[in-house]
This record gives sequence, C-alpha cells and structure tokens, in this order.
Amino acid sequence: MTSTAHLLWVVLAVVLLIAIALILMLVRRRNLRSKYGLLWVAVGVALVPLAVFPGFVDWAARKVGVYYQPTVIMLSAIGLLILLAMHYSWELSRLEERSRTLAEEVALLRAEGDEMRSRLDSLESDGQDGPPGRV
Amino acid sequence: MTSGSPTSSGRTADTLVIIPAYNEAEALPSTIADLRTTRPDLDIVVVNDGSSDSTAAVAKAAGVVVITLPYNLGLGGALRTGFRYAIRSGYSRAVQFDGDGQHDATSIAALEGALDAGADLAIGSRFRAVEGGYQVGSTRSGAMGLLRWLVRILTGEKFTDTTSGFRGFSVPMLQFFGTHYPVEYMESVEALILAHGAGFDVREVAVQMSERETGAASTRGLRLAYHFCRVLVVMVISKGALRRPDAGDAAASEPVANEVES
Repeated sequence: MTSTAHLLWVVLAVVLLIAIALILMLVRRRNLRSKYGLLWVAVGVALVPLAVFPGFVDWAARKVGVYYQPTVIMLSAIGLLILLAMHYSWELSRLEERSRTLAEEVALLRAEGDEMRSRLDSLESDGQDGPPGRV
Repeated sequence: MTSGSPTSSGRTADTLVIIPAYNEAEALPSTIADLRTTRPDLDIVVVNDGSSDSTAAVAKAAGVVVITLPYNLGLGGALRTGFRYAIRSGYSRAVQFDGDGQHDATSIAALEGALDAGADLAIGSRFRAVEGGYQVGSTRSGAMGLLRWLVRILTGEKFTDTTSGFRGFSVPMLQFFGTHYPVEYMESVEALILAHGAGFDVREVAVQMSERETGAASTRGLRLAYHFCRVLVVMVISKGALRRPDAGDAAASEPVANEVES
C-alpha cells in the first residue's frame, strides 16, 4: 500500500474520532438524547478499527467471496441505515400518537375549565347581588 | 367501571350528539338549530378541529358545549376527543353527526334503537333508505363498491354504506374508540373493520341523508387514490388486530396491592 493511501486512512480515522467527540459533546449538552448519541458512538467506534486496519475489510470481503471490497462496506452501511430509518419511522409514529393524545386531552381539559368557570360565575352571581368582587 | 369521579358536566340527556367541525361556521348554526327543534332531548357537543374560521364562536353562540382542539387533528382525532368527552360525562350512548347538514336529525332515533337493541356500533346507511335515493358520483360509487366488497369479505357481513359518517356508539364502543379510533383519512371504513374484528356488534340502519349543503367531498384525485390504497392495505392487515376488552380484563387496571416497601 502506498503512503498516500496510508495517509487517507489516517485522515479517515481522525475524522471519525472528531465525529465521536462531537456526538459525546452533544449528548453532554443534552442536545442529543443519550440513546441516539450512544447509537452513533457505537457506529463510530465500530468504524474506527476499519479505518485503522483497512486490511480487515479485504479479509472480510475474501471470506464472503466479494471481489470488490468496498461493496462490503457499502452493503453493511445501507443495511444499517435502513434499520435506522425504520427505527425512526417507528419512533415518529409513537411521537405523533402521543402528541395527538396530548392535544385531545388539552382540548378536553380546556372545555372542562370553561364549564367550571361558567358554573362558578353563575354560582357567585346567585350568592350575592351584583358582580362578585375579585379577591 | 371507568366512570371515574362523578363528572361535573352539564349532562342532561342519555344520548350525546358529537359534531366534529372543521371550518363549518357557515352550515353549523342551521344544523344545530335543526337538531334542537327535531330532538330537543339530546345534548350536543361540537368538537372544533382547529378551525381557522368562526366555528367555535358560532357553536358557542348556539349554546352547545364546544371542545376546541389546539390544532387540526383530522376527523378521527376530533371524534376520539368527542368519544372521550362522552365517556367522562357519563353518557350511555353517542351519535356522530355531520356539521354540514347532511344528516337527518329524525334518523338519530333509528341509531338509538339499534344501540338499545344491543348493537355497539350502529351505522346509518343512506343506501338502505326507502325513499329519497342518494346520488354519488361514478368514481366515488366505484370506489365505494370496492370497499363494500372488501368489507364483506373481511367481515362476512353485508354493509351497504361503509363510509357513512352517521353512526351511533355504545359505551363499550366509545371506550374502545376513545383510544383506538383510526386517525387517518377514510377512517370510517377502518373503524368498521376494527370494531367488527375486535368482536363488537356492528349493525347497519337505514337513515336519511341529503346531498351536502355546503362544500364538496374534501378529497379527490391522486390523494383519494392514495388513501384508498392505504385503507385497503390497512384493512386487510389490521383485521382482528385488537380484541374487545372482556369484563375480566378490567381487573387489570385495578391497583395491585404490592407496594410493600421496606
């Protein structure tokens, strides 16, 4: 392997490490929920050895019988991304359901509040003549 | 029972009429007035589905209870809200009624009759009505025919008006739909399949409907086609997905006395 190729791998590894650091920082600042943060960190951590030991990909490709090694990375990346997208759809459905229920509850509570206020008003005006004084 | 605390609601009737309304300010007053004269014995609630017009004000002025959703949830969401209101206020049945004057208030009695005879979900069918034949466009009637056929295959029963929005609900049905009512467009067919598959008693009743007073069918063309396909798939895969909770299941919600901490 030429030295420029080696340099490429080093750059990749550094970029990955920076990405991991960034994710950890976001989680620390609570900008990213830890469950997603950890997921991405795990992905990054899994990629680091690949960047450091590129020979592993060649070896794995030979094992599975793939001629063009990058295909292995591409395929696993696509697989992972599809799984993630599915997970997000699931999460999104759940969130929509929750915000929906919340909106319905808010509406019901508001109607209940209106009802109570009008009852209170009529009660107060029954109790004494004229508008009730505010306390 | 989930009657909860004795509600402080102003319930004065056994049947609640739920009117889901989205930008219905124009037709709503006459619909409510008509309901009031035909059936003065019923309570009415308008669920204002995030309207941008004066629907809420108009309904309040008519003197009915108004529940305003903070943003538009669609018909399913508005109905679900109405169902939960009915349960919490202690009504023994509820009727879904259109705000645009499409439904005939005298036909509510037919729905109530079916509910009292043991139905959980009474569906008002415009096609079973003897007089005043209801006309629908050809595309629409073709789509309706396909839905009808599919519903027959899935339920083993013949329903003539699967998309009708003129329906009556028993208390168990209200409790079930309060959380499980489908919320996407064309939810009425989905709800029918869901209720039937869950073991509820679904019946069809002949009612009167007139042509829409204002506004047209909300959706057409590609969007309708998309929703149609969606409903077909959902109907097939969700058949029997949910079961009607048995009386025994209610015990599960009772507090379990195992909070012994030491």
